[in-house]
Parts: sequence; structure tokens; C-alpha cells
Amino acid sequence: MRPSDKAKVRHRRLVHVVLIALSFSLMFIGKADLVAMRDLRMSSNDFLAPVIDFVSAPIRGVETMAEGIRTVASLRAENVRLQAENDLLQRWRRRAEILESENQQLRSVTGTVSDEIRSLITARAVTAPGGSFAHTILIAIGNESGIAAGDPVITSNGLVGIVYEVGRAYARVLMISDINARIPVMLASSSWPGLTIGRNDEYLELAFLPAEARPEVGELVLTSGHGGILPAGLAVGRVDRVDGDDIRVLPAVEFRNLGYVSVLIGGTEGVDRSDLSQGSFFTPLPIDDDKRLLEGLNASGTRQ
Amino acid sequence: MKDQQSYFEKADFQSNLPKQFLVMFVAVLLVLLEVGLAQWPFFYGASPLLSLIFMYFIMIYHDELMPIMTVFIMGLIADFLMSDILGGRATALMLLSYAMRVGVLRLQQSDFMDLWVGFAVSCTAVMLFQLIVFTVVHFAVPSLSPLLFQLGFTLILFPIGFVMMFSIQRLLQTLQVMR
Repeated sequence: MRPSDKAKVRHRRLVHVVLIALSFSLMFIGKADLVAMRDLRMSSNDFLAPVIDFVSAPIRGVETMAEGIRTVASLRAENVRLQAENDLLQRWRRRAEILESENQQLRSVTGTVSDEIRSLITARAVTAPGGSFAHTILIAIGNESGIAAGDPVITSNGLVGIVYEVGRAYARVLMISDINARIPVMLASSSWPGLTIGRNDEYLELAFLPAEARPEVGELVLTSGHGGILPAGLAVGRVDRVDGDDIRVLPAVEFRNLGYVSVLIGGTEGVDRSDLSQGSFFTPLPIDDDKRLLEGLNASGTRQ
Repeated sequence: MKDQQSYFEKADFQSNLPKQFLVMFVAVLLVLLEVGLAQWPFFYGASPLLSLIFMYFIMIYHDELMPIMTVFIMGLIADFLMSDILGGRATALMLLSYAMRVGVLRLQQSDFMDLWVGFAVSCTAVMLFQLIVFTVVHFAVPSLSPLLFQLGFTLILFPIGFVMMFSIQRLLQTLQVMR
């Protein structure tokens, strides 16, 4: 081996060691959640998102084509189904209008302050979760449009997640299925409060329910509005399986086919959203197996 | 005298830099494709590791074209885009590249089945490293079924990717001879 080759090998080894050390230390620096790292993440997202958009255009094209073929094949059956669904929805609409009117009258009688009205901005989902370690998506909307960290992201079916990083033209959304997502919820029919916890999977875990709660399969799970970040009443999912303390929820939104989402803006005045980093969230832990920390009101208004 | 010698030594070889840049470009493109593939409902949450197949092939047959910096950039971009732990995949890939450089001669002389087994071990090692880092950082174990699906599908795609890259390599060699 010539001396210059030896120097090359030494140099290469040194670069190897330095880069591995740098990469290893990045894991800890990244976890420390420094403002500079967050800015770096969002700048890189702003830079790379249009490229991903361009690269994934053929993939979206193929998917659209396949969807088109599937739709054509089942056009007649789909038409019949939609007509039936339309009739049902018309009936529900009339019922909703009556209930809304009744609700307004009751509010005026009781003097209840209504929730702040939030406005909607629709954005395209640029990416989908590609790995098992994080369930986040990039959406093509940024602080130019007035969105901020903490804004809820929804579709017509229910809650998708919350915005947690905002760049100039793109924002990253933490989905409710992510392992870091903890959503304060309540069971629709019994009003028992709890938390849904993501598992980086297609299902959510429903935890911290009071011991008296008896969730039933198929029961709707809604956001409770606790904490003030998320408005109350957004559909999170339905109870899919109850096996003792292990309660599984199927999200209301079909995440696999997420094309467009809406960001709810405003309505959180007075809520401190300055630090929504993952590190600042906490999960209440039960002291004992037989004790529960969360308390709430049941459907009849009794404190439990 | 020493400077003169090193000058001539350098002049003996053609620079690999343009080729290295091209390999880096393709590697980054494959990372972006991985992220894009996740939009396909079938690969939701578990897109196959195409960039790992590419890296494995290049490291065996053209390791001089894939410097450690390329591996670092590839891993870092994947970490950024998939919102994984920053540096997690980059470290795993760099450790793999180091291990492959040590055993590259043995791999070059192996038949396809051995290479496939070697790739299965490498792919598992990369995922296991990321899983351990994730578990340590978050104190939680993510659902393993998407991880196994991702691993399985990457292993299924390996022969296809390998044959494709081998064909491209042959084509480029033929073009080089003709020129």
C-alpha cells in the first residue's frame, strides 16, 4: 500500500467516525427539541415538500387511475347506494335543523355562552406516514395562511390530528394515531371522559376511563374539549373492541385515503399554545390499578 | 519530491466525484420515492426501503461510488421527511455501511441466495436499531405489525431491485465498451 493510500484510508476512517458520532449526537439534540432544530426541520420540509410532491405525482396518478377503474366497475351499485344514503341524509338534515333551532332556543333561555366560531382552511396532504415510527403528514399550507401550532386538523368524517410544526408554506400534522398523540375524549352516549392514545397503528387505545364506565362496541368517541386546544364534539372514532381494560378505537377518518384536510383556525384565544412540543405533553398515570385520576360528569349530570 | 509523487499518483486516476454525485442523486430520489409510496393505501405506514436495496447493491459492487457522506445525507433526509428520530436511520445506515465495507470481499464472492440472506440480516438490523432507539427515547414500543410488513415487503422487492440494478449496470458497461 502506497503512503498516499494509507493516508486516504486513515482519512476515510476518520470521516466515518466523525459522521457516526455526529449522527448519534443528533438523536439527542433532536430529542432536546431546541428551537433551532425545529426551525431546521421546518425549513427542510419547506425545501423538500415540493420535490416529494413532484416525485409522488406518478404514484398519485396510478392510484387515481386504479380508483377510477374500481369506481366504473361498481357504478350502478354505487348509484343505488348513494341514492339511499341521500334520502337518509335528507331526513337527518331536517332533524338536525329542528334540533338546532331547539338548541338555540334553549341556549337563549339558559344563557349558555356558545363556543367561539372557528374558520376552516382546506389543504392538500402532501405526504402520508411512510414508516412505523411516526404518524405525521405534511400539508400544503403554512403560516402564510395564518395557521399556527395547535390548530386541529379534520376531515368531514372527524379528527385527523393537530398541527405541530408550521413552516412558510407547509405544516406538519401529528396524527391521532401517532404514539405521542393523547386526545381528551368522551364516550358519546355515556359522557365518560378518557384519553385516546395512538399506537402508530390503525387503531387507537382508549385509556383512563373511570372504573364505572362501560364502553360498548360501536359507541361513538368524541373530543371532550378538555384543555381548550381541540373543540368539543369532533368525531375521533368508534369503540371497536372491549377486552377488559384493553379498549380499542377505530378512527373515524380513513387515514389511508387522506387527500385533503381542513385546518380549524381561531377559537383558542386565552389558551397558551406557545409550546406544543412533544416534550411538554404529559400523560397522567394512574397511582394504583383500582384508582382513576380523571373525573367527570355522566349523562345525568352527576359528578363521578 | 513527496509532493511531486502524490501529484502523479492523483493524476493516474480519473475522479469518481461525478459518479458519486450521480449515485447520491439516485439515492436521495429513492428516499423521496419511499416517502411518496406511502400515499398508496397499500403502503400506508410501511413503505418498502428502496434506498436500502440500492445502498446494499452499490456497497457490494461499487463501494467507491458511495462515500459515507452519501449514506449520511440519505439517512438524514429520510429522518427529516418521515419525522423519525433525527439521526436514527442515518446512524443505522452508516453502521451498516461500515460493517459492509469490512466484509465486502466475502459478499462479492457470494451467490445470490447468500446476498439475499445478507440483505435480510442487514434490513432487520437497520430496523431493529431504529426500534431500539425509538423505544429508549419514547419509553414505548410501537405496533410491530407495520414494521414486519415493511421488512417483508422490502425483502420481496430485493430480487426485483437487484435484477434491475444488475441490468442497468450491464447496460452501462456495454455502453462504456462501445464508446
